[in-house]
Amino acid sequence: MPDAGLTCLDFWCRAGSAFEHKGEEGLAHFLEHMVFKGSRQLGAGDFDRRIEALGGSSNAATGFDDVHFHVLVPPEGACEALELLLDLVLEPALRADAYGMERDVVLEEIAQYRDQPDEQVVQHLLASSCANHPYGRPILGWEESLLASSPDTMAAFHQRRYRGTNCCLMVAGAIPKGLEQTISASRLASLATQSEDHPNGIDQTLSFQRGRDTIQVERLEAARLLMAWPAAAADQQHQVMGIDLATTLLAEGRRSRLVERLREELQIVESIDMDLTTLEQGSLVMLEACCPAEHIKEVEAEVDRVLQECASTPVQAAEMERGRQLVGNGLRFSLEAPGSVAGIAGPQALWREPQDPLRPLQDLQNWTAAGLQSDVFGQLQASKAFTLVALPEEEG
Amino acid sequence: MALPDLILDPLATPGVLAAKALIRHGSASDPEGLRGAHQLLGSVLSRGCGPYGPIQLADLVEGCGAGLRCDTHEDGLLISLKCRDVDAERLLPVIGWMLRQPHLRPDQVELEKELSLQALLRQKEDAFHLAYDGWRSLAYGSGSYAHDPLGVAEELKEISPDQLRCLAAQLEDHGSVLALSGTIPTKLLKLMESHEAFQEGGAQAITLAASTPRGTSLGTEQGTLSIREQTTEQVVLMLGQPSLAHGHPDDPGLRLLQAHLGQGMSSLLFRRLREDHGVAYDVGVHHPARAGAAPFVMHAATSTDRSKLSLQLLLESWNEMCSKPLDPDDLQLAKVKVRGQLAHASQTTGQRAERRAQLRGLGLPDDHDQRCLEIMDALDPVSIQRIAAEHLSRPLLSLCGPQASLRVLESQWEARQGEARQR
Repeated sequence: MPDAGLTCLDFWCRAGSAFEHKGEEGLAHFLEHMVFKGSRQLGAGDFDRRIEALGGSSNAATGFDDVHFHVLVPPEGACEALELLLDLVLEPALRADAYGMERDVVLEEIAQYRDQPDEQVVQHLLASSCANHPYGRPILGWEESLLASSPDTMAAFHQRRYRGTNCCLMVAGAIPKGLEQTISASRLASLATQSEDHPNGIDQTLSFQRGRDTIQVERLEAARLLMAWPAAAADQQHQVMGIDLATTLLAEGRRSRLVERLREELQIVESIDMDLTTLEQGSLVMLEACCPAEHIKEVEAEVDRVLQECASTPVQAAEMERGRQLVGNGLRFSLEAPGSVAGIAGPQALWREPQDPLRPLQDLQNWTAAGLQSDVFGQLQASKAFTLVALPEEEG
Repeated sequence: MALPDLILDPLATPGVLAAKALIRHGSASDPEGLRGAHQLLGSVLSRGCGPYGPIQLADLVEGCGAGLRCDTHEDGLLISLKCRDVDAERLLPVIGWMLRQPHLRPDQVELEKELSLQALLRQKEDAFHLAYDGWRSLAYGSGSYAHDPLGVAEELKEISPDQLRCLAAQLEDHGSVLALSGTIPTKLLKLMESHEAFQEGGAQAITLAASTPRGTSLGTEQGTLSIREQTTEQVVLMLGQPSLAHGHPDDPGLRLLQAHLGQGMSSLLFRRLREDHGVAYDVGVHHPARAGAAPFVMHAATSTDRSKLSLQLLLESWNEMCSKPLDPDDLQLAKVKVRGQLAHASQTTGQRAERRAQLRGLGLPDDHDQRCLEIMDALDPVSIQRIAAEHLSRPLLSLCGPQASLRVLESQWEARQGEARQR
């Protein structure tokens, strides 16, 4: 991205919460916090100060499959930032005094999530539909396992997962002279490669349970209808793009099937959205409708009806084209900033091989209305979903 | 009425264009008894305008895979369009139609009104929102920044399409700004100059009895503490004060303080509350760019058993900035952060267009950011302390959380207020 004003250095590692063993629940995310508490060379806070003194910023995120640590700096600071980042991520100090303090911060983060009713509803859906799979567990983990953890157990997790074969450095934006040599000479090159822990990446596929549940949630002001479906894993790009197209036709924009019917015509929802979360062990499609409690039954029935209609009648050409435009531009528009380019290209490079970020558009073009009807809409049916109805808690 | 005040920011992109139109009437211009009117108006602008009915407009925009939305802020409406350059000639006139020939059909107004009422209800699920809502009422009293741009349910329910027509006719009274960033097709400007969507006489000058906009007074009569009880695990604390307009000569000093206190992991609040005491996950400082007295608010969420310590740490941080000069190294770091933040906030065409429209909308020069950096470079620790003491000497506290903790914090706050009075 020669015109970019910044360089994004994004270190990815196959060390998400799905790789935690029993008793380690929450450790992948907690480690992400602890990394920023210093390394063997960097004292607590040194990394943040030095990156920010370069005019940069840093952050990190832990997912089910992977974790990434990213730094965004002016290009002239990229080489220094890279050395700092690698030092921090690959040799975290995990000091005992910092460990207890940062665990308190993570416990506060968990409490903050528990105070958000909509987060509770989503977590309930995942716990119910992916009950026997790590995706059903909160990434933040359990308080008990966090309290029982120690710097030693965290060091063991780090040693197990942060190996050469599990790591990838994604650089996007302005690439300054000398950066490639800095990378070649960095400690990445000497990173131990062998890993006995899931040597081929993943060792299981998503186990998904269909079903239905109704819950009452404290402090919920509007009812929610949530539905989840299992979908193709991230490596099945053609399938993934078909699902992306289908969810766009269903719920993106006023002319999408669900929005037009439920919000514009019947006016029984405040919002209705569908999202595809692309995951390595099997992706998840989620639908969320927000509505007054008195409409919830009608909303569920109407969603069912619209989904059935999509499975029984092929989408017209103009509607297909509209969907392709929305999905295609969604991708094109997200490639403006180095951070989002790294966020899209990073997992691809980490789990498979680097590819042109616009390559998925070819798969998009290959989908026909008939294929979409049989292969995707046929799967996105209420009978194949886990459905969760969440209602505001009744008074008294 | 001619073309909006136009700002062009051509940029090499893979065929992406971002357009941002800013109209200088936001929720702060909501008339008395009509709080929420501008947000409602903004949301209906894209539900039919010029030659397009609501469905035709959605077909046009979504058919191009474009994004079109209108957001209402305190100081203005912001129409955002993002599209491919090849679609710009078809789509850009829509912004003109939205401004000058909105249909405001009663059925569409009712639909948007109902959606806004439901959104207002859903906001109550968020303890941060409740705490901020409390702080805002406390800080701005009956002033124009006192309510959420979404409005107040009781008043929103009563707003009629005719009242919206009246506001729509006045939308460009103070002019409007249109900023384009990205790949700008060469023919686009000529097209806009001659296109009927941008010609005058669009919105009819309806002369319904226009309600008077509310004043911009600050809420000095409401006390200094707002409390919202919620059955949450955490307490949300917001400590702050209405401060300065974005163009005020001392605002660069406040922006440096914001960077020092709340920007990044090296910031004071992050270090003090998270790293030194582990009492909070989410900490920061809210100081948006406003035409009037902008909030300057420290915020943190913390468990009930640590809320007393958290409040004490926030208060110490607040008092220090008013009573002690910053460490010169900390000030230097804050300056670098602000400079870096400007680069971070101009990475996409949308960000670039919005900042340009915002500055022009606030009546500030296009090189305002550069000028601010020069002002900041000249500020020393003593001048920063002077700015803090002058503009941040009377903080207000808003709390949202379980009743028992709120009582403890209330006593702590009263004790602090007593000490402040004695000083």
